[in-house]
Amino acid sequence: MTAALEVTNLVKTFGGLTATNDLSFALEPGESVGLIGPNGAGKTTVFSQIMGELRQTSGSIKLFGTDIGGLSMPERIRRGVSRTYQVPRPFADLSVLENIRVGFMPNSVWGMVVGRANVEQERDLAHEVGFNAADLEKPASDLSMGDLRKLELARTLATGAKLLLLDEVFAGLTVGEITQISALIQKLRSQGITMLMVSHDLPALDPLVDRVIAIERGSMIAKGSFAEVIANEEVRASYLGVSA
Amino acid sequence: MGLRWYHFAAWGAFILGLMALPELVSKGALRTIIFANYLAIFAISWDLLSGRTGYISFGHPFLIGIGAYTSAILTKRFGVDVEMAIPIAVVVTMLGGLVVLLPALRIKGSYFALVTLAFMELMYQLVQVIRPDLTGGTRGMSGIQTLTRGAVNGFYLSSVLMVIVAIAAWLLMRTRLGTALTAVGLNESAVEGSGLSTTKLKMVAFLASAFVAGLGGAFYVHYLGSIAPRALFDINFVFTIIVAVLIGGASTIIGPIIGAFFLTFLLEYLRPWLPGAERYFIYGGIALLLYMYQPKGIYYMLQSGWARLKGSTS
Amino acid sequence: MIQILIQGLLLSGLYALIAVGFTLIFSVGRILNLAYGAYLMLGGYMYFWISQSMGMPKLFGVVIAVAFGVALGILKYQLIVKTLRGDHVAVEISTLILAVVLQAGVVLVFGDSSKILLPIIPGVVYIAGVPVTYNILAATLASWVILGGLYLFIKNTHTGRAMQAVSMDTKGAAISGIVPDHINMITWAISGGLGALGGVFFASYTQLAPSMWVAPLIISVAVVIVGGIGSIIGTLIVAHVVGFMEVSVVSLLSPELRGVFTMLLIILVLVMRPQGLFGREEL
Repeated sequence: MTAALEVTNLVKTFGGLTATNDLSFALEPGESVGLIGPNGAGKTTVFSQIMGELRQTSGSIKLFGTDIGGLSMPERIRRGVSRTYQVPRPFADLSVLENIRVGFMPNSVWGMVVGRANVEQERDLAHEVGFNAADLEKPASDLSMGDLRKLELARTLATGAKLLLLDEVFAGLTVGEITQISALIQKLRSQGITMLMVSHDLPALDPLVDRVIAIERGSMIAKGSFAEVIANEEVRASYLGVSA
Repeated sequence: MGLRWYHFAAWGAFILGLMALPELVSKGALRTIIFANYLAIFAISWDLLSGRTGYISFGHPFLIGIGAYTSAILTKRFGVDVEMAIPIAVVVTMLGGLVVLLPALRIKGSYFALVTLAFMELMYQLVQVIRPDLTGGTRGMSGIQTLTRGAVNGFYLSSVLMVIVAIAAWLLMRTRLGTALTAVGLNESAVEGSGLSTTKLKMVAFLASAFVAGLGGAFYVHYLGSIAPRALFDINFVFTIIVAVLIGGASTIIGPIIGAFFLTFLLEYLRPWLPGAERYFIYGGIALLLYMYQPKGIYYMLQSGWARLKGSTS
Repeated sequence: MIQILIQGLLLSGLYALIAVGFTLIFSVGRILNLAYGAYLMLGGYMYFWISQSMGMPKLFGVVIAVAFGVALGILKYQLIVKTLRGDHVAVEISTLILAVVLQAGVVLVFGDSSKILLPIIPGVVYIAGVPVTYNILAATLASWVILGGLYLFIKNTHTGRAMQAVSMDTKGAAISGIVPDHINMITWAISGGLGALGGVFFASYTQLAPSMWVAPLIISVAVVIVGGIGSIIGTLIVAHVVGFMEVSVVSLLSPELRGVFTMLLIILVLVMRPQGLFGREEL
């Protein structure tokens, strides 16, 4: 079976700094994998390279078997990968429904002008991620952090993403919101969506992932089940700053 | 698109009102309205591009000028029929503008603003230098074929043109394209993050804007019968267009029309008291203050008034 | 040939002074100040008023003009930029409106016609057989000295390095204990002063007229686009490229084509290297 995501010998340097150091890993379709590591380990940098926001210095990135290394970000998105951001970036003045509408839009001007918005579809997706009917017309600038993350998830799903990169999706959430988002992620998991999740909230991450990859300063230092990786000496040291 | 009965009613009333005007007002007022109509067309053109996307064009006279000069040169120097010259002028405006501004569109908004400013100046120099036998050089051209004679006919032509442009632009912006362009203005990288090519979107907005600018420029030159580069490629002209849009309400298409009429009549009204530079000083100052504190314009004020009325009766 | 070299050098020094004032704001604050040209215009008129209308000593006039520029810069920052809180579209438009208003104001006070500024230093000297007014020479030398001083300031003083920091990453700078607000204010003040001084020189090079703020703005724009942001040296080099190019075109081809090649250069750079010849990677 073709891997959903195959990253091989990924390297990213910024001048003298090596942010990604010969990283290789693969995700099978339907898997949910956690990506953990201390601050500055380079997790977000990996995401940016997979999405095409940053050009990798060397190495290959394959999405469902196709090499996407040379494609632009919108092109990659249309092939099925999408991500959320540590700091959500909604369209502040647009309503929840309109935000989702942008996610559904075809990348064709003719399509945008002639075709109509499928409001039913938009509403269904909004409900699926947990919005009430009352929320739909609210401008995104009025939303709580939890709702903003739901909105971002909705927008990524609207693009038809089969591979989701979730960057610190629990950051800044209340306990109740974490429960909501976790339930949503489990639902997506059961629908067969492949996920790569970065999170500092390890207890929240545990039930959501099949396995975990740990990185530090751009290199992989451990991989395996959640329990295995958490117990790993090097991983503990990287978080706590204790030298081995 | 969500067209409601009151949309049809409002447009209908507007059109009827316009058509009835020649019976109601003086010739002098009609001539003022003609200018307002053309300013509205230029304002709509600006709004199509800059109203939503945040790519502010400070050189719109550049596009208007291409349309005006092309049609003028074709009709006057080459004897081309005006019915052919105008469409050609529009196409030339779109192509010419694209060739020059596409590199700038592909980059962030502020650079685009700078480039448009620079190119307006360039256009001014170019028409004086390149083939002044064709362009009339610094003095411009006169004796260009006019399409209508008299205030009333000029009024009807400009009004019909303005209404067609307005309705077309308004409908276009009510499609998902309008939403997409607004999104570009709010957060361009998030639009890319939704799988859409923002370069394509910006290009379409630009072409629509150039189309209207070229059309307006060509018709305008056939109304005036002359072209003067110093007046056309002037920062004050840019200023007038932009302020018209802002006062009326950017990104709404209707706002620019309101703003254009408001501004034209304000200037005319002030003329006996304050000829010349003082007008710019005063209305510029007012525009600045208004913009900084209520950047959404008259249209927004009308909209919220209407919403409050609806709310109180339901 | 020699004439082109010398005139090019002289003009470029002036262009460098003007362009740096503009780039500073754009680099440090990421904001376009379209009323930048207004500093030049007002600086020139202020000097004219003090020195020629009121008959005060010329140096005094220059100092007052610069002080006026500094004050205007700070005022603009406090009243406009801070109110608009970094909404770059709003700032672009507001500064444009401000520029037009200021131009109209100048016309109201000083009238519409252009005025000739009496040279700050009268007389002509011959360099390699080319006549050069002391005025222009002084302007260029002063520009060089000031730019040199500015460069040292940016590289070596705490404030200067703070400006660099803010230009690279405002948040990062703030976390390091720098107050971006103060830095921005200082930058606007310097920009205003440079602009006003540039205006005095520019006016003595050409003429004093209410519409004179457009041309220097365009030149600064060209230098920003071609040179990119983030490097004073880059700005200096590009200012010289533009200056020499203009002088060459005027001498060898035709005076009216002056700006055309600059524009072509802009397009070329935008297509091939959008961040500018010396710009930093991201935009």
